[in-house]
Amino acid sequence: MSGFKRDRQGNAKRFDGPKPAPKAPVVRNAYTPMFEHLRDELDAHHDRRDRIGKASRDITALSKKIIFSLQRVRKIDQELPQDIQTEIDTRLAEISKLLAAIAPEIQGINRHRYARSLMCLEELIEALTFAHYVRTQTLITHEQLSPVVEELSRKGAAPPEDEVMADAGADKPAAAQAAEVPVVSLTDDDYLYGVFDLTGEMMRFATTTSALTGKMASGDDNGEGSQRTIVEDMHDLGSFFEMLPLRSGNRIQWEKKLEVMRQSVQKVEKLGYDRMIRGSERPEGWMPDLTSTDQPGSPE
Amino acid sequence: MATPMIDPALFAELKSKIEEDSVVKKELDQIIDELNQNVAYTQGVLSRIHSTPRAKYPDLLSQIEDGIKQQVETVGKLATAASKHPYYKYNYKWTRMVQESISTILLCTWLGGSVSTQGKAAEDKAEVGRLLSLDNIGEIYHVPVNLKDRDAFHITIEEYLLGLINIIDDLSRLAMNSVTLGDNALAVQISSFIKDLHAGFQVLNLKNDILRKRVDSIKYAVKKVEDVVYDLSLRNLIPAKE
Repeated sequence: MSGFKRDRQGNAKRFDGPKPAPKAPVVRNAYTPMFEHLRDELDAHHDRRDRIGKASRDITALSKKIIFSLQRVRKIDQELPQDIQTEIDTRLAEISKLLAAIAPEIQGINRHRYARSLMCLEELIEALTFAHYVRTQTLITHEQLSPVVEELSRKGAAPPEDEVMADAGADKPAAAQAAEVPVVSLTDDDYLYGVFDLTGEMMRFATTTSALTGKMASGDDNGEGSQRTIVEDMHDLGSFFEMLPLRSGNRIQWEKKLEVMRQSVQKVEKLGYDRMIRGSERPEGWMPDLTSTDQPGSPE
Repeated sequence: MATPMIDPALFAELKSKIEEDSVVKKELDQIIDELNQNVAYTQGVLSRIHSTPRAKYPDLLSQIEDGIKQQVETVGKLATAASKHPYYKYNYKWTRMVQESISTILLCTWLGGSVSTQGKAAEDKAEVGRLLSLDNIGEIYHVPVNLKDRDAFHITIEEYLLGLINIIDDLSRLAMNSVTLGDNALAVQISSFIKDLHAGFQVLNLKNDILRKRVDSIKYAVKKVEDVVYDLSLRNLIPAKE
């Protein structure tokens, strides 16, 4: 063939990528219609998976931001500081829009079909359980958590309550169906793996707070002695996972998570020990220059 | 604050769910193992086509059909057991075996076997070269295909396509062996079938997944059968179209 175009480097230019070239002369044969039909079905599946994957990445990023905000809290078992609560609420509002957008795609048979594209739920659960822990010093159960996530996806799908829904409202089929809004459901695996990751966050939290406040994080309503500390909570969580039967399916993933969790527990244990043995060497009331008032925005 | 860190009921609940899950998996494993044996037997019998002249196909095919009947029965059991749970939760366990099973049916019927629901009496003399569709496969197993509106056992498009790719390899081998057995017409027929399928697979928009990998392998089968046909034509051995 003569007279093909060249690009700046002088290489022969293909027409438009390698694909269309062999496509043009595609000879239709007895099987072409069948393959065309299957192609359309597969395309729908791939497109759906892409849409879910994109939303999932965004939700993961937002959840991580929530976790970072929570790591700036210094005390547990009490309401979150106002500024942090506001940050979290904003993120959650964004998440709820994303959840609402993908909720219709992951109903029924599709819930498990796209489970692997929905890793964001693990991250979201990590954020939500962590927030719950910081607020109440307890582990939220699967049953308590499901309605929270369902409510999130419902909120994102209801335009009248939210004016910022200009674009998100468009991909909803009809606002009339508000009664039967599809919601995002949580599987047991989502929950379990989310809680696994929670232990890592608790470890980081325990380390930061004890370094900055000179005390092991604990609820401090009454006398200091009777209060449960984060060390005990970590031990509880540790035994909790150790006692659960081994999952016969993805054993490798499970054991990896288990190992990471054990390390987190031991790190916090070590913290507790250090506090006990060396804490007393510190002068009474001595503290690093950072007090529990250090919050985002402070010079440090 | 007396609330414990972890609600004791939570542990009990999760524990029983995990145990339930293992029971389900064991049940499915057992059925899949059975299917595995059925499929292995059928594949073993099928491998004899490479040394069987076409005149003796009917005997061989009826044996294959028996093997397939067992598979259909086992898939029936699998469908009953699997439909009690979310389909895609456990699909990964059996999808491989179901693909293999589909290939045996596709190959058997392509060779002229009749795997119908009523037994083989009706059309024993079926033509060589018949390709069953996904819907046909579903009818043979008595299960739905490409299910979207409810959550139950079915045969997926991917399973069908992957099963189809499996037989392409086998057929390209058969093309060579049929020449050895003096059946040049069969080699030519296989060649045109594989080329048609190859063109068909080009129609799909593939993602970077297992299907893509397997489709990429078809070109080697095409090459193989083209070489055979080339050798034949060089020696003027291609039979004239009847």
